[in-house]
Amino acid sequence: MKERYKKYTIEIPEEMSIPFAGIVESPKPNGEQPLMLTGGWRIYRPVVDSEKCVMCKSCVLACPDATVLLVDGGNKIGFNLDYCKGCGLCTWACPVNAIDRVPELDFEDGVPFQDALFLLPHVEALYADD
Amino acid sequence: MIEITVWATGVIQDKEGRDVCLVLTEAAFNEGKFTQAFDNYVDLPDRINVQVRKYARISESQIENVFEYENHRPNIIGVCEATIMKGINVCKGIQKNGFLVINTTKDPEELLKYVPEKERKRLKAVGTIDALGIAPEQLIDYSGSEGAEDVSAIGGGLGAAMAGAIAAISGVVKKESVLGAASNRTAAKRGYDEVKIKQL
Repeated sequence: MKERYKKYTIEIPEEMSIPFAGIVESPKPNGEQPLMLTGGWRIYRPVVDSEKCVMCKSCVLACPDATVLLVDGGNKIGFNLDYCKGCGLCTWACPVNAIDRVPELDFEDGVPFQDALFLLPHVEALYADD
Repeated sequence: MIEITVWATGVIQDKEGRDVCLVLTEAAFNEGKFTQAFDNYVDLPDRINVQVRKYARISESQIENVFEYENHRPNIIGVCEATIMKGINVCKGIQKNGFLVINTTKDPEELLKYVPEKERKRLKAVGTIDALGIAPEQLIDYSGSEGAEDVSAIGGGLGAAMAGAIAAISGVVKKESVLGAASNRTAAKRGYDEVKIKQL
């Protein structure tokens, strides 16, 4: 049986073997898309408590922006803070309540700072003599 | 001519940001000045929680700039959600002796550290006001920010408190005009009285 189905299967690496077919790479921080950084939209930041976390990866599945990452060799949960919008779906999805929503102003940094939202060339020319 | 820019978050604070501009221009119109008030269309404002701008212009004489839908060199800047200042330069293009009003319960120094040096030197005064604590709620209006018509009253929530604070710190309109233009008079009055101004 297994040989018959072998040509339809895909090899999945260990840290990405989750039950559904949703494997999307996280957006790359620092500079692949400077015009579309969404970290500044965030008002509450997710913070994970590693003691309570059981690594079920429900938060990785629930995130609509693919910003929940597996770090430290696949043993801990981290967040891509350049793109997380603070929607709270990972907090809702966690079965052991290991994720908290903390106000963003409690932290010093972690948000990509932009000069303007869409700094197009004709707008930049207006500020050239500043 | 005085140009005002108000920053708010996407769909949730869209009506409140618009209210700040509308209360100030309604008050100025009742005093006999020429006014314009409009939303920002360029930055795709109909996404929830994106940073959004609303604009107003107040002048003693006829305003000739009717084709430009942005205020590139504002005099007064209002911020309806303090967390926005961490990710974007809200004071970009501000003119000399400009004013900044923020809706927050924190110290102004904690938020001024996110403003770059060049813009900080041009600020004359910073005002902080707890607008969300003064108004009972934050009104939401799902009609969208492009081509919307305000069918409910203006100045019903935290927008009235912010407009009162802007009038107090800069003196662009008188107190009686703001109280007459906002539908929530208590919030506008408390916003005018309770703003904490820090001179720079």
